[in-house]
Amino acid sequence: MTAPSPNKIVGEPVDRIDGQLKVTGGAHYPSDVGYPDMAHAVLVQSTIASGTIRAIDTADALAAPGVFAVITHENVPELVHEVMTPFGPSPRFPLKDNRIVHHGQHVAVVVAETLEEARAASRLVRVEYDETAAILDIDDPRAQVTTNPYEMDVERGDVEKALASADIVYDERFHTAPVTNNPLGPFAAVARWDDGRLLIHSSTQWPVMERHVLAGIFSLDESAVQVLVPYLGGGFGAGLRTWPHTVLTALAARILDRPVKLVVPRPQMFTSVGHRPETVQHLRIGATSDGRLVAIDHEGTSTTGAEESNLEPITVVTREAYDCPNLATHDRLVALNIPNPGAMRAPGHAEGSFALESAMDELSHRLGIDPLELRLRNFAEVNPQTRLPWSSNALRECYRVGAERFGWHHRNAEPGSLRDGEWLIGHGMAAVSYSWWATPCRATLSLGRDGGARLRAAATDIGTGTYTIAAQIVAELLGLEVDQVHVEIGDSALPLAPPSGGSGLAVAFGGAIEDAAAHLVRAFLDLVRDDDRSPLRGRDPDEVIATNGRLQLSDDPGVGESYTAILERHGKDELSAEGETDPTPKAEGMTMSPAGAFAAQFAEVRVHEELGLLKVTRLVAAVDAGRVLNEKTARSQVAGGMVMAIGMTQFEETAFDPATGRITNATFGDYLIPVSADIPDLDVVFVGEPDRYNPMGIKGIGEVGITCAPAAIANAVYHATGKRIRSLPITIEELL
Amino acid sequence: MGGASVVGRTTVTVQVNGQERRLELDSRVTLLDMLREHLELTGTKKGCDQGACGACTVLLDGRRVVSCLTLAAQCDGREVTTIEGLAPGGELHPLQEAFIRHDGFQCGFCTAGQIMSAVALLAEERAGSDAEIREFMSGNLCRCGAYPNIVAAIREIAQQGGGMP
Ligand code: FES
Ligand code: FES
Repeated sequence: MTAPSPNKIVGEPVDRIDGQLKVTGGAHYPSDVGYPDMAHAVLVQSTIASGTIRAIDTADALAAPGVFAVITHENVPELVHEVMTPFGPSPRFPLKDNRIVHHGQHVAVVVAETLEEARAASRLVRVEYDETAAILDIDDPRAQVTTNPYEMDVERGDVEKALASADIVYDERFHTAPVTNNPLGPFAAVARWDDGRLLIHSSTQWPVMERHVLAGIFSLDESAVQVLVPYLGGGFGAGLRTWPHTVLTALAARILDRPVKLVVPRPQMFTSVGHRPETVQHLRIGATSDGRLVAIDHEGTSTTGAEESNLEPITVVTREAYDCPNLATHDRLVALNIPNPGAMRAPGHAEGSFALESAMDELSHRLGIDPLELRLRNFAEVNPQTRLPWSSNALRECYRVGAERFGWHHRNAEPGSLRDGEWLIGHGMAAVSYSWWATPCRATLSLGRDGGARLRAAATDIGTGTYTIAAQIVAELLGLEVDQVHVEIGDSALPLAPPSGGSGLAVAFGGAIEDAAAHLVRAFLDLVRDDDRSPLRGRDPDEVIATNGRLQLSDDPGVGESYTAILERHGKDELSAEGETDPTPKAEGMTMSPAGAFAAQFAEVRVHEELGLLKVTRLVAAVDAGRVLNEKTARSQVAGGMVMAIGMTQFEETAFDPATGRITNATFGDYLIPVSADIPDLDVVFVGEPDRYNPMGIKGIGEVGITCAPAAIANAVYHATGKRIRSLPITIEELL
Repeated sequence: MGGASVVGRTTVTVQVNGQERRLELDSRVTLLDMLREHLELTGTKKGCDQGACGACTVLLDGRRVVSCLTLAAQCDGREVTTIEGLAPGGELHPLQEAFIRHDGFQCGFCTAGQIMSAVALLAEERAGSDAEIREFMSGNLCRCGAYPNIVAAIREIAQQGGGMP
């Protein structure tokens, strides 16, 4: 370890270092990649939800101008179908046989010289089906149900006994609609093969996992696969898995022996890269009349695709939320004939916390206790599940600062008490503790003769600001300017890194950079250990600080020299060092509970009395994000989650036709995501201290923004109208 | 020939970012695909190809259009400005700078469309208030939710007199 850094770069609202590229159109996303000689692929999808393909006629498509190949289950070469990942086996390969398990399943890929030709020919593929009854309803008794599917269910104390003796028992059910990630950048893959090696530009949030899956499927050594994604047009979880279209693009390129590009058109984005599943939840809460929670029982059911797996832990959010001695959480997974869901920003948590935090609000009204006060009375001083002290917890501060900024305590608590003409006004709040998830991370850091540093890791920046925060951390630790740091990410060939996902990348990557920087400083000192001409001869890292492009003694700043002077004298172009970290909490021997971000959000809504129109007019989020790495990008990230939460609460619903399983609103014209006019100014404020669990004190913040806003808004709707809406999205019909 | 129909070719001459380009194209090619696939101007993005997201917004004879719903053939003899043409010579347009300063993007995929739309918005003199900016920028989706920052960037330039050089 070097002495503490004197440089103040981490935390500063530095402009994104990739900003210039993004505002000039110079950032290259997977769908921008082209090669001479590249062919274009288009997917043909099933028009039934369940059954078998009786016949597939590709003759006309093959005869159409420009067409090179049509790949179907009848001519697909042998591949390995299941590769294990942290999210379960890789998604079901749709061409593995003639069976159809959901509407919109890929049944053929048409590859042609131009996109127009491929598209035209795709319409000429004729498929005949033998249809069987599809299972489409989450309550269908024929559906296969898995209980405790993630082995995350917990039980503490005796819930039934505590409920039986509680002063008040709350017992309600909730529903959340399926919604679709819809990153603005359509997912794309551009694949080419050279001497048995696969190079693929691909929309993924996890290049090394994509490499692992593709290597498995094509029976290759991992070193023979390279995945590139320097920029991604958003993902929100959709890029955490290797979806079949990516496999099919690589396959087409191998069959044709030329580069192939496939861009998933917007309507197919609804069926090809996952979505947030529908949930139904049942919450029972027992409390004393003075507002002490004595029991919580939370059951959450979500949907998954037939023959698929999905990780949607709905009730996890509940087990650590409040200090409640008796608690049981159970998840259930129901398999339907729908496109496989997948992760979408705060998977499980966004839905689970909507139910829990709506319930807390409802309970507070039944008890006649202010909703904020009820939460404070049940504040979890320690992790209520493990009883370990939190590595940090500023949730009280979130409550206090958020309430102050919002003006919470000035409201009249009576529902329906505030109005402005025909508009009813309501205030609501909700809170969350959002833990992060990450995997081991490595990084390589080098410093060259020009005085600049180069950081390399297979991390990604999906809009989260990874490029910028990584450069800031390096600059701070090595004593450089941000623009002296070159960050290379988005390439699976670089040192292993976790995904942009699970709010964990900053924690893991930050730790790896810190380790690499410490090693690099040591490498410089090792180089001058016996160097008579160096003022740093024989010095140890803990005596030295890095600042202004040089290393110097912390207690005698005049004694030191620049990196470039050392490199020049020793005839070296650069020095390099590796760093690594494993942030995964250990199963044994933990002395603290690694905390994620905490947040409290406060919403103001207006509901038109006669028309049922709902407008969110104010949203305040106070977030304990540990050590904020970049005030500007951090605020944007939380605000972005709040915008998506407004979508989930007010507009978004992936509509499955109950008879056919077809998604009836699979366009941006029909599936409504928030537009500028729907979004008020968003107030995001950070509170708290650096976290104690990881060396940089970081907590992930990619998902905390979406987790409590839906309940805060629904609670505000109740306060405005007296109507308790336990189902998302909140529609006009419910408010009329 | 099965069910395939014979497809026409078309020749277009179009000024793109001040340069005259002459292309012979499949007549089904949209302005968006012409820019991206034939002129390698990939700064303009395809978010939906259905006219519903604004990611493909460019200026056609100075007015904003969604290039995915504009056929290349319709642009014969006309002038197209894309994001790549906004900063000739490398000096950023004031709106581009403001987007960076206000963090008006995250993934950046909607950004070219947002900026081109904002350039037109200022020329249309429709950026008089936040409400107006919000309303007339609502054809440009941003799934990352950068809206408040986008509004702030446009507001700043509008208040400075519209960013006209
Ligand atoms: S791509 Fe043209 S509007 Fe979406
Ligand atoms: S910045 Fe990602 S869609 Fe706008």
